[in-house]
Amino acid sequence: MDALAEHFRTDWAAMTAADWVGTILTVVIFIAMLVAYFQVFRPKNRESLESRKHILFEEDRDDLGDDDGRK
Amino acid sequence: MEATADRLAEQKYSFDVVRWFTIMAVVYLVVGATVGVYIASELAWPFLNFDTPYISFGRLRPLHTNAVIFAFGGCVLMGTAFYTVQRTCGVKLWSEKLAWYTFWGWNLVIVLAVLTLPLGLTQSKEYAELEWPIDILIAAVWLAFTFNFIMTIAIRKTSHIYVSNWFFLGMMIMIVYLHVVNSLAIPVGLFKSYSLFSGVQDAMIQWWWGHNAVGFYLTAGFLGIMYYFVPKQANRPVYSYRLSVIHFWALMFGYVWLGAHHLQYTALPDWTGSLGAAVSLAMIIPSWGGAVNGMMTLSGAWDKLRTDYVLRFLIIALAFYAMSTFEGPVMSLKTVNALSHYTDWTIGHVHSGALGWVAGISIGAIYHLMTRLWHTEMWSESLVNVHFWTATIGTVIYVVAMWVSGIMQGLMWRAYDEYGTLAYTFVESVAAMHPYYAMRAVGGGIFLLGAIIMLFNILMTVRKSALQGSLREARGTLTPAAA
Repeated sequence: MDALAEHFRTDWAAMTAADWVGTILTVVIFIAMLVAYFQVFRPKNRESLESRKHILFEEDRDDLGDDDGRK
Repeated sequence: MEATADRLAEQKYSFDVVRWFTIMAVVYLVVGATVGVYIASELAWPFLNFDTPYISFGRLRPLHTNAVIFAFGGCVLMGTAFYTVQRTCGVKLWSEKLAWYTFWGWNLVIVLAVLTLPLGLTQSKEYAELEWPIDILIAAVWLAFTFNFIMTIAIRKTSHIYVSNWFFLGMMIMIVYLHVVNSLAIPVGLFKSYSLFSGVQDAMIQWWWGHNAVGFYLTAGFLGIMYYFVPKQANRPVYSYRLSVIHFWALMFGYVWLGAHHLQYTALPDWTGSLGAAVSLAMIIPSWGGAVNGMMTLSGAWDKLRTDYVLRFLIIALAFYAMSTFEGPVMSLKTVNALSHYTDWTIGHVHSGALGWVAGISIGAIYHLMTRLWHTEMWSESLVNVHFWTATIGTVIYVVAMWVSGIMQGLMWRAYDEYGTLAYTFVESVAAMHPYYAMRAVGGGIFLLGAIIMLFNILMTVRKSALQGSLREARGTLTPAAA
């Protein structure tokens, strides 16, 4: 077995329930992060996401009684 | 236009509890910083202990950390969360009574901390020193805060939940989880309990809590403040909303893994510390993304920094945020950690984040709130400027003193002579620290002076508002039709 293979060798039989929970959670979070990056940087979603940044300034219009279509 | 909007908001939302949180935050900033300067002075001039256990460093240090983190930081977080959730959701707080319960409950926690910590009643867990009855009270108050926030979002009039609310929400949920698990203990009396965990598991749970108190309470919560108050003060939308979304999710997914980097070279399995350090390095990306996002909000309007002192606080805070979120991961690397751990470098790093980032963004937000909640200009703009410079200079002096002191400590502790024995005794390293400890006390003193100036200025602003009747006017005279 070369050094790299030895480095990544795992004794699967010795894995406890806590080890499995941790491993699965790590993989799920990694995939969830990839999905988040994909969704956020997808060109199709750019306009809808960036339009949200104006909410802070729309609140003042709301206070003044304007209807911006969000109510 | 903006003043009119603020007056109408006054009639529409529940701001009384926010006003009280704002004032108490500044009071606790002065109290916490005063204790901090005193204990820094005790380290430089130990006679200040006066052989009295109640004011010894070991008892006052947790009082200092609890006062600045939970009293000052907590009041800032609760006040700003209650303010921003109403303004971004277009509705009043779900329950004003629950908000007042949160205010009085949190202040009761602080009073109990002030009473018990100098008496030596402690669980000896860093940033979680308070004994079990107070821990239960903290959980009860924090849950009420969280529930009220969530219910206010649930009844919102807007379709989208603005990103600052996500950060606040992330902090609230994670702190419930972290506080409850880390505080699990077996009481043996009203003032004494023992942790449910022991040995290395106890250490891991403690630093899982300890680092996430930094990550979720002192970072995520204050980023919620940043994403609301920087754009509002600059009067420009945040540079990139997409970046803020990635910032949020990366922080939520990543931060929780970092705790183990506090335990390098201990009985903790080696891989755990390495994992903590690896994820720490990965966290530089979202942290810097967030810092750049905040700063670039000023893109095309940098001239505002020349005249807007409040904006200066907010932007310099982001610079410290960027700096300390780079420094932390570097310190978590085993090679660097071998030098930095247990030295004053850590204290310098923590205060770069605490004074520069947390206090800076909080102070900016409080000044922003003052004019909008009391419907008048600050009593003295010049004093805000004086405060900016005292806070910045004080922080820099403090941090530089601890960097130099810490690196010197680390180098002295591991220096060997030609015979392979230690080159310096521990006492020699303590003596070498003295000038830097004095310098730290001076830096802290300058920061404290700024906090006192701030307290004076905001109390005078409240008085000015009362004399002008501006708050009373905002509460009852203008209507949308009249505007």
